[in-house]
Amino acid sequence: MATLELDSITKTFQDGDEEIVAVDDVSMSIDDGEFLVVVGPSGCGKSTTLRMVAGLETITAGTLSIDDRVVNDVKSQDRDIAMVFQSYALYPHMSVRENMSFGLEESTDLPDDEINRMVSETGEMLGISPLLDRKPSDLSGGQQQRVALGRAIVRDPEVFLMDEPLSNLDAKLRAEMRTELQRLQNDLGVTTVYVTHDQTEAMTMGDRIAILDGGELQQIAEPLKCYHEPANQFVASFLGEPSMNFFDVTLDGDRLVGDVFEYPIGDDVRADLGETTDLVLGIRPEAVELVEGGADVPHEFGMTVDVVEPMGDENTVYLQFDPDADTETGATLVATIDGFTRVSEGDTVTAHIPEDAIHVFDRVTGEALHNRSMEDAADQVDLA
Amino acid sequence: MSDDKLRTDGSGAMATTTKLRRNLERMTVEDIALYVVLVLAAGFYLVPIESGLVTSFKTGTAIIETAPFAPPGASGFTFEKWRTAIDALLRGMGNSLLYAVPATIISALVGSITAYGLTIPNWKPSYKALVLALIIAGIFIPYQAVLVPLTQFWSQWVQLGDLLSFVWALGIDDDYVGIVELVVTHVAYGVPICTLLFRTYYKTMSDEMMESARLDGASLRRVYRRIVLPLSGPMFAVVLIYQFTQIWNDLLFTLVIVSTESSAAAPVVLILAGLGTSMEGQDFALRMAGAFFAALPTLAVYILFGDEFAEGVAA
Repeated sequence: MATLELDSITKTFQDGDEEIVAVDDVSMSIDDGEFLVVVGPSGCGKSTTLRMVAGLETITAGTLSIDDRVVNDVKSQDRDIAMVFQSYALYPHMSVRENMSFGLEESTDLPDDEINRMVSETGEMLGISPLLDRKPSDLSGGQQQRVALGRAIVRDPEVFLMDEPLSNLDAKLRAEMRTELQRLQNDLGVTTVYVTHDQTEAMTMGDRIAILDGGELQQIAEPLKCYHEPANQFVASFLGEPSMNFFDVTLDGDRLVGDVFEYPIGDDVRADLGETTDLVLGIRPEAVELVEGGADVPHEFGMTVDVVEPMGDENTVYLQFDPDADTETGATLVATIDGFTRVSEGDTVTAHIPEDAIHVFDRVTGEALHNRSMEDAADQVDLA
Repeated sequence: MSDDKLRTDGSGAMATTTKLRRNLERMTVEDIALYVVLVLAAGFYLVPIESGLVTSFKTGTAIIETAPFAPPGASGFTFEKWRTAIDALLRGMGNSLLYAVPATIISALVGSITAYGLTIPNWKPSYKALVLALIIAGIFIPYQAVLVPLTQFWSQWVQLGDLLSFVWALGIDDDYVGIVELVVTHVAYGVPICTLLFRTYYKTMSDEMMESARLDGASLRRVYRRIVLPLSGPMFAVVLIYQFTQIWNDLLFTLVIVSTESSAAAPVVLILAGLGTSMEGQDFALRMAGAFFAALPTLAVYILFGDEFAEGVAA
């Protein structure tokens, strides 16, 4: 068990004469026993970051330390790190038992019977004891996944690295393994860095999540904090499904003026915005309410239902400010409403965009100027 | 149940015939033309082998009296030529095995290790490309071009016969220095193609698997020993078959290095070259019998490694 410290880690690749920056000045420190999820779209540098921690890629600049020991130049095999790969990377010619013993045989001087005992124990813990004498090719995807995990766990390393380990499983199995992985990590208490592109995994599994885009760290915080208080527009749009609604607006006195609507704001929101006038208004679909009554109340807008996507427990509704506008260009507001609320395409409804739930971003830098506060969000849950 | 019934009353067989008839009815003119061409092509390739085989069992008169591809009649049939050929070639067969087997195995192993080195990811791509280019260049050097340097090398630069004098002291004929020279020559000549074949194969191996092994604490050497080598089976089959056939059938190097069929170390190809030729003319039957007998080991290798060969070629 160990702490892991990334200090201004940078990775550049040479492509002909061009220099490509894959990871740009990323700093983060991971506590002993912490489960950190690194998330981002493909090509954001998350896997490269993980591979640098593993020692599979060289570090162009910056320092990487495990337990305060700088390991930039330490070889992979001497870092005491175990990694679970997306493809599982099992050794096809070895039985499950041999796969799991391999690491112990190569990295320790333990006697054979001790290794055998440890492998059997780990096998039991993961429920793969009956499979120990089979070859990987005889196993299902889920079983191979467990073996890959077992191979990492049995070594009892300082740090676990996981590179999208669940993305080759079907949806149901993935949900099961997600819970199981969390439970395992809790029991073992090994510092873990988990890379994924799946925001559900990011939100549910990690103690903290680090969001990367274009090789740069966007935000590192607890999942709910990232969700409710995103550092910038990218984080806000990346987390949440359906994603947050964004409208380009301009500040005019105490109103945000958009193409098709005006949104009055109170003093505290106004204070957060300062001198910036080119803004983006953000609102999460689940914060939008459909209410009775006319559209003359501030923060309430008469809208037309364009599309309804029933999900069972809830409906995703696409609303348009102007029913005659082209779907491509017309401003659309996505709202998530209760599954029992009856709305159908073409209906005229009134949407309430509560002021305490809005986010305002700087349109140029993308930086969040005003976020809904987590306390407010929590209060609402308490009231309900 | 109904299936069983069908089978017992024989309508299963009937169904097959109906199916066959239906397939025949569906054949177009193009299909028929295709099959005719295929059968002709197969015959074209098989006739020389068939002719050789029947000829090897013919007496001298039968060869003159019957067409080359026609089987010998009861009167023209003999095992005599095979017996003579085996008597003459058996000695050479042993000598050939003596250099072909070690040379094949060593060149395959060296090729495999070299290829592994060339696929290691943490090596500058430009260095890898240079080494690979040099190795591949080695494939294209024709045998004929190295004959003179090769003779000079073994006769003037490296006098292996003197170096191995302690072996001859044990009572082994010093002609056998030729066998050792052949092993070294064939290994040197075989390494490039072996390296190229193995490299192609190793390129398809999962990088993540190798990385996983490195993270598991294995050194480069251990990764080769425990992961790469055990997984190389199919490619070893390809390389072993290819190299063995090449080395076994090569006449040029044996001519230069061993030179005479009277030598105690004469390989089978050298004896075969002179078999059945004399002042009175060619003994075709004997030459055919000898050729078939000399080809038996290569056939055996194909049969032994056939399954892995198919797998390796597919990869």
